[in-house]
This record gives sequence, C-alpha cells and structure tokens, in this order.
Amino acid sequence: MSLIQVSNLSIYTSQEPRVLVNDVSFEIHEGEAVGLVGESGSGKTLSALSILGLLPRGVEATHGEIRFLGRSLDDLDSESMRKIRGSEIAMIYQDPMTALNPVMKLGDQLMEVIESHPEVGELTIERVKEVLRDVGIPDIERAINSYPHEFSGGMRQRIVIAMALLLSPKLLIADEPTTALDVTIQQQILALVAEERQKRKLSMLWITHDLGVVANLVDRLHVMYAGRIVESGTVKEIFENPQHPYTQGLLSSLPSPRGASRERLSSIPGVPEKPWLVGSSCAFAPRCSFATDKCRQELPGLSGNSAHKVACFYPLGASR
Amino acid sequence: MSNPTKERGIVHYYLRSTSGIVGAVLLFIMVAVSLASLFKFTPHDPLYQDIENLLKAPSSNFWFGTDNFGRDVFSRTIDGMRRSLTVSITAVSIATVVGVTLGVIAGFIGGWFDQLVARVSDVLFSFPAILLALAIVASLGNDWYDTAFAIAIVYTPIFVRVARGPVLSVKEMDYVKAARILGYSTPRIIRQHVFPNVTAPVIVQIALSLSWAILTESGLSFLGLGTQPPNASLGLMVAEAQPIAAFAWWNLAFPSIFITIVVVGLNLVGDGLRDALDPARRSS
Amino acid sequence: MFLPFRSIEMTLRISAVEKRYEIAALNATVHALNGIDITLEPGKTLGIVGESGCGKSTLARLIVGLESPSTGSVDWNGTKIENLSRNSLNTHQSAIQLVFQDPYSSLNPRQRIGEAIAEVLTVHKLRQGREVEARVDELLSLVGLATDLKSRYPHQLSGGQRQRVSICRALAAEPQLLVLDEPVSALDVSVRAEVMNLLIDLRAKLGLTYIFISHDLAMINYISDYIAVMYLGKIVEYGTWHQVANHPRHPYTEALIRAMPDHTVIGNPESLKKTISGEVPNPINLPSGCAFHLRCPIATPQCKVEVQKLINVDNGHAVACMEVSR
Repeated sequence: MSLIQVSNLSIYTSQEPRVLVNDVSFEIHEGEAVGLVGESGSGKTLSALSILGLLPRGVEATHGEIRFLGRSLDDLDSESMRKIRGSEIAMIYQDPMTALNPVMKLGDQLMEVIESHPEVGELTIERVKEVLRDVGIPDIERAINSYPHEFSGGMRQRIVIAMALLLSPKLLIADEPTTALDVTIQQQILALVAEERQKRKLSMLWITHDLGVVANLVDRLHVMYAGRIVESGTVKEIFENPQHPYTQGLLSSLPSPRGASRERLSSIPGVPEKPWLVGSSCAFAPRCSFATDKCRQELPGLSGNSAHKVACFYPLGASR
Repeated sequence: MSNPTKERGIVHYYLRSTSGIVGAVLLFIMVAVSLASLFKFTPHDPLYQDIENLLKAPSSNFWFGTDNFGRDVFSRTIDGMRRSLTVSITAVSIATVVGVTLGVIAGFIGGWFDQLVARVSDVLFSFPAILLALAIVASLGNDWYDTAFAIAIVYTPIFVRVARGPVLSVKEMDYVKAARILGYSTPRIIRQHVFPNVTAPVIVQIALSLSWAILTESGLSFLGLGTQPPNASLGLMVAEAQPIAAFAWWNLAFPSIFITIVVVGLNLVGDGLRDALDPARRSS
Repeated sequence: MFLPFRSIEMTLRISAVEKRYEIAALNATVHALNGIDITLEPGKTLGIVGESGCGKSTLARLIVGLESPSTGSVDWNGTKIENLSRNSLNTHQSAIQLVFQDPYSSLNPRQRIGEAIAEVLTVHKLRQGREVEARVDELLSLVGLATDLKSRYPHQLSGGQRQRVSICRALAAEPQLLVLDEPVSALDVSVRAEVMNLLIDLRAKLGLTYIFISHDLAMINYISDYIAVMYLGKIVEYGTWHQVANHPRHPYTEALIRAMPDHTVIGNPESLKKTISGEVPNPINLPSGCAFHLRCPIATPQCKVEVQKLINVDNGHAVACMEVSR
C-alpha cells in the first residue's frame, strides 16, 4: 500500500526561475524505510520538505504531484495540511536546538503538540511520559520540568524524536538528524529509530549524505545528484552493484571503515554541479570518466526494474 | 570549477542607490558653494554692512536679501556653510582617528584596556551630544577650533564603538588565528586582517557623523557659543533671524534650508555608502 | 624540481600535559587535557581520534603555540613552545603549521588568494621581489590549483579549493610538522577523497610529518601510521594504525569501531544495536578513577577508584586499562 507517492516533482526558486529539484519521482510504501542520499545541492532536503508543504519562501514546487494515502496533497487547504503535519507525517532535523523552544519547559512543549491536534483524540501527559521513556530519557519527572539547554546534544535529539512520535505518525521524515552528533551517540540514535520503526511499523524517509548510515537503516534508497534521481534500488542492489558512475564514485571515495585496506581512495574530480546550470543532458557528464557526446547532449532517464533503476546511458556492471 | 565573477568597484554599487546619487549631488553643490566662500568668491563681503540696504527682500543684487545690518544673506549663508563644514570636518576627522584607533586596539587586545575604553565611551555616549558639547565649549573658548574639539570629543565614542564591534567578531575567526600561527606580528595582523573589516562601517559612520556635527555646531552657535558675531554661521544666523523672522523671512529661511540640505545630503550619502559597502547586498 | 623542505632534525615531545580552563561565571574548571604524553617521530603521521570533549582540538592549539599548557610541557627540539615568542619569526613558527576545519573562516575574505600566500613568503623572508610570484605559482601547483586562482577571492572558490589554499598557505611557511584539525569534515563527501589524496602525495613528496585530528576513524585509519585514541583529555589507546584499527584493546576503541557507519556491511540490523550507552561526561566533572568507567562494559569496582595509565601490551601498543592489559 503506497503511503507517499511523489510524481514528477520539480521545485524552482520564484525569482529568476532556477530549478532546484528536477522531475523527481519516488514512492514510500507502508512500513518501508527509504533513503534519499546526496551531497549539498542535490535537492534531497527540498524534496522532503515539499511533502510537508514546508518549502521556504522564494521556493516553490511548480510541477508534479504528491499523494499521501492516495489523496493529492495539493488539493488540501492549509488547515487540512496542518492537521497532517505532526500527527500523520512528522519530521526531525539536524539541529535539535532549533526544533525545541529554549524558553519553554519540555513537558509544556510536548503537550503543545498534543493540544494542537485535538482531532487525534484524548492524549494526556501520560502519553508524553510514555514516549520519553521509549526514547530513553532518564528521570522523566525531572525532564518534563527542564529546559532544552539542560540536555546534551544526543538527549535533545532523542527528545525531538519523542516529539515526532507523540501522535503516532505513519511517516517519519528525518533530515540528517545524526550528522552533528558524536559517532557513538549517532549509533544510539539510529538504534533507537530502528527499534521504534519495528515497534510502530513506522515508515521512514531518511535524508543523508552518509552512505554508511543508510546501509543498515533503510530498505531502498535513491541517489540524488544536481536535483535529479540518478539511481534507485534496494540497498543490497545499490551497494553491491552500483551502476551509476556517481554512485560508484561515491562508494569508492570512502575509506574502508575497519581499516582493512589502505587502497588509495578514488576521487571524483570537480565539484557537485548546481541543478540550474545543467541543460537537458546528464548532469554528471562533466565529472564522469565514461562520458560521451551523447551524455553531454541528451538526458538519460531512469530505467531498469523494480529492484534497481539507473539514469545513465552506459550503466556500470554486467546488467545493461 | 566556479565561474569567476568580476569584482565590481564600490562606485558601481554606489551608483545603484538612488538616495546615494541624490545625496552626492546635494553634497557636491554645498561643498562647491562653500569653496567659493573659501576663496572669497562671494557676491558681497559677508561682513560688509550696506546701511542703505537694510532688510531688503531677495533681489537680483542680493539673492537672498539682506539682514538687519545690511549684510548680504547669500554671502553670509555660504560663508556660514563653509564654517560649518570646516568645523565638522575637523571635528569628525579627530573623532575618527582617535576613536577608530582606540576601538581597534582595545577590541583586539581585550583585557582591562578594552574594558576601560568601552566603559569610558559608554559614559560619554550617554550624555546628550549637545549638552556635552556645551559643557566642553563653555570651558574652552569660542574659537572655531575649540568648537571643533568639543564636537570631536562628543563623537569619538561612536567611532570607538563602530570600530570595536567588527574587531571583536573578527579576532576569533580562523584566519586571524592562522595569521598568529604563521607568526605575523600583531600590527600586521591588525592592519591586514582585522582592520579591513572596520573600514566599511567607519566610512558610513563618517558620513553620518558629519551631518550630526553640522547640526551640533549650528546648535552651539544658535545658543551663543561656537561662532561669534559678526562672523557668519548657519546656526548663529538662525538665532539672529528669530526676532525679525516675521517680516524678513529670508533671514530665517535660507540658512535653515542650507542646514537641511547638507544634513539630508550627508545622510543620503551615508545610506548609499552603506548599501555599496555591505557585501550582503551585492549578489555574487 | 620541488625540493623537500630544509631538513632540520625535529622532535615534538609532549610530556605530562594538562590543560584547564577556569570558568569564572560558573566557578568551575574545565579539564580539557589530563595528562598527555606523546613523542612524535619525524616523517610519520599520528592520527588523533576522539569524540567531543576528548580534548583533541585543545591539544592541537597547544602544539601550534596558540595556548600554553597548565602543567607539563610541549617541547620542540628541546625548547618549550611557550618560551618561543609568538611573534618572533623563529624556526618554530614556520616549523609547525595548522590547517583548520572550516574552509569558510580560515581564509581572509578580503584578501586575494595570491596575496595571502605571498604574505607568508614575505613575512618569513623566504622569497623577495619577483621570486615571490614564481614561488606562489609553484606552491599553488603543488596543491593542484590552477595558478590563475591567484587573483580570486575566497568566496569565489569551492570548499575543496579553499581547503587546498589553506594547505598551500601552511606549506608556504615550509613547515616540518603540519597539524590538520578535521581538514575534510566540512567538505562534501565526493571532495574529501581528493583532499586526502593530496595530503598523502604531499607527505611523500615533501617528507612531511602530520598530526591528523578527526572524529572519523575511517579517515584516521586511512592516513595514519600511528593512532592515539583520546577520551576526556587522556589517551586511552596508542599504537600503529594496524594495531589500533584491527586489534583494538580498549573498550572505548572497540565501541568507536563498532559505532562507525559501515557502508561495506549491508542489511545487517545487528550493526545498529546500541554499542555503548551513556554520553561523554562533562569535562567539568571528571569521573573518578578511569574516566570511561561509567560507560564501560567491563568495568570493575577498582576502575572507579584507580586512574588508568597507558600500559604497553604488545610491541609499542599501549592501552590505559588494567582489565585489558593483564
């Protein structure tokens, strides 16, 4: 059952129209975890924000459609959209300090979420305590009366997750929530999220630039480059059999974590391309060692099967 | 690789600002006429009392009319303008040099010196400018340089503040630390790496301070300190025009208009400079 | 032909270094470094890895002379670094240089690239007159940058290019020791490999010694000859990269390794299991005894009492844990 269906989404800046996200389509099924992987400027964050209708000022989605549980989100008025946010679709960000109000006690903030969504039903402070317990906050009674600055970064991110899970949403969107955390804390948070996902049959859209993080967290992933999806598939397919030169380049530019080998890292020359500077040709061509004239003149579309799609005229690997 | 953008000059950005252009024009006119006075190139001698032409309305001979001593208001007005500008420019120059030096050194060195400079500035700053200037001028004297000196003291704190701010934020930047690790001397670090961040806000402040200084000088002259009769000063002329304004409006109007034009001009120039020098307003 | 920098016999010796910061407002002391001993071999790369609060950045600042230790000494060729006047252009100042993490604040935004590099040469009197520009070109090529970037300002360069400029500026002073504080952490993933490879090439070409500081154990493993694992101001494990990466002994090192995101292991939910609970304690309130005992899976009551010292367990491989070094 399809939870989220993004079809042909394009996002432009309003002034001097510059494309930021170019004809992006993906689906999230119920209970599924999907990763959006890319570097800065790839369009991954904007794609996710558009699901919640939270694009910043000056940026708008001009084409495409987003469906949630079959209903088109464009048809909804702002009140209906507001009801969905937080209760059916929740989002967590990289910096917990901007998600938490520094001058409000924790308990009050979490209750505020509940109070903003009376349509969800009768929920009390007990629910708040329950979720805080789930995410591993010690000393709940004290925590409820404390302020965000009294907690460490890792704790704050747990609180943010608790806030997101309060109303039992169907979908959790996470935008690099562990990037700024120590690696041991990151591990704790990822374990927590995986656990909660199991328990609640939660669907997830996880945005990151870190391939190591998605390797064991999501079922499928989409690799984005310069505003387009260049490769999609199951984690196994993409990691074991990367077909797009960019994906391949990214994977081989990472040092092997366990220090097993110290083979020279292969690097991708140049810098990530800006989406609006690419014509209708392959955005990666300037940096691709296999690029031909065709790549520089035509735009490759996504093709393949349900387990693995790639946007490349000369995909790597045996399957052609 | 990133596209190289041509670095446009400050003049280019300044010319984008309508207020900046208007201000510059106004200012140019004012300075031009003041120069005329400097070179004694006025239609009449500002001090000459033409007894036969007391309180005459503006005419082709006396463009702005005459005052109750028969003196040409136009010549006196531009002479007054010159005086105002001389005093203000002198005052602001002193304030800039002293204030910026103190602000930069205090900000960079920190410690007790910084605390001292900052607190003294705050105290001076808390006095209304005119009162402080009054007090200083009263104890100094009435020559134009006493007035300039008093105004300089009054406006030094703002330059300390304007210079100190960027220094405080810049000195923690990695590139300043890099300069220290590279063994650059403190004077060099201040000159090359810290000071350039100070020039833009200081330039804008100079324009604004000049306008305030002119107003302060006018105020002092109006109150009887500052420029003394028979010399012309815009503020003094306004004061002297008060009893006769009802029937000889030209004595009050023209000096006031000139004060307004130069102050507005300086403020507009300040706005134009602020827009031109603020990197955030330029798109790269 | 580019020659290696003048080879002076150089040794960095860090002995029993502690660094404390007093916070007057809280009437508290931050114990940033609590006893560090390091002797660095010329031509080798020491990787220092640790999470927040471990003191690695503080250590970097002490090594380059930005700050002085509270106790103990950082010696360079036998002379205490703090005794070398910061503004004097003596051997020390050019001998040890630092590359910062943030490519955006490490270059003066108002200075052209060429000017920034030329400044090093003129201040250190390494070149005069016309030779300055030639040398600037040489240095830019050395780090893989086109010489026409000389006339650009930092904001016209990408993050990766800026880091190269930082490296170039540091090299312009002809250092023997280059301290690199998270040099690639702020760069896009696809750009990191390039800069890492550049560092490796420069090391080979110029015979440089590196101290490479990072929280990313994978990068540390890739570039280091020796690795020091830091926790709350102390070194808890030290050895060759192979010893530490492949045969870790300290429970914290093991936890770090298990916590590393691993793109070579896929679809293994086991890898997500919480490896270690708790958080790094506040350096204001150091735990008693072994700093790690509150989170350690093999802690004993003795660990709470006894401060651990680095004990040699195998051929230069040292661990600060009595449980493990028995």
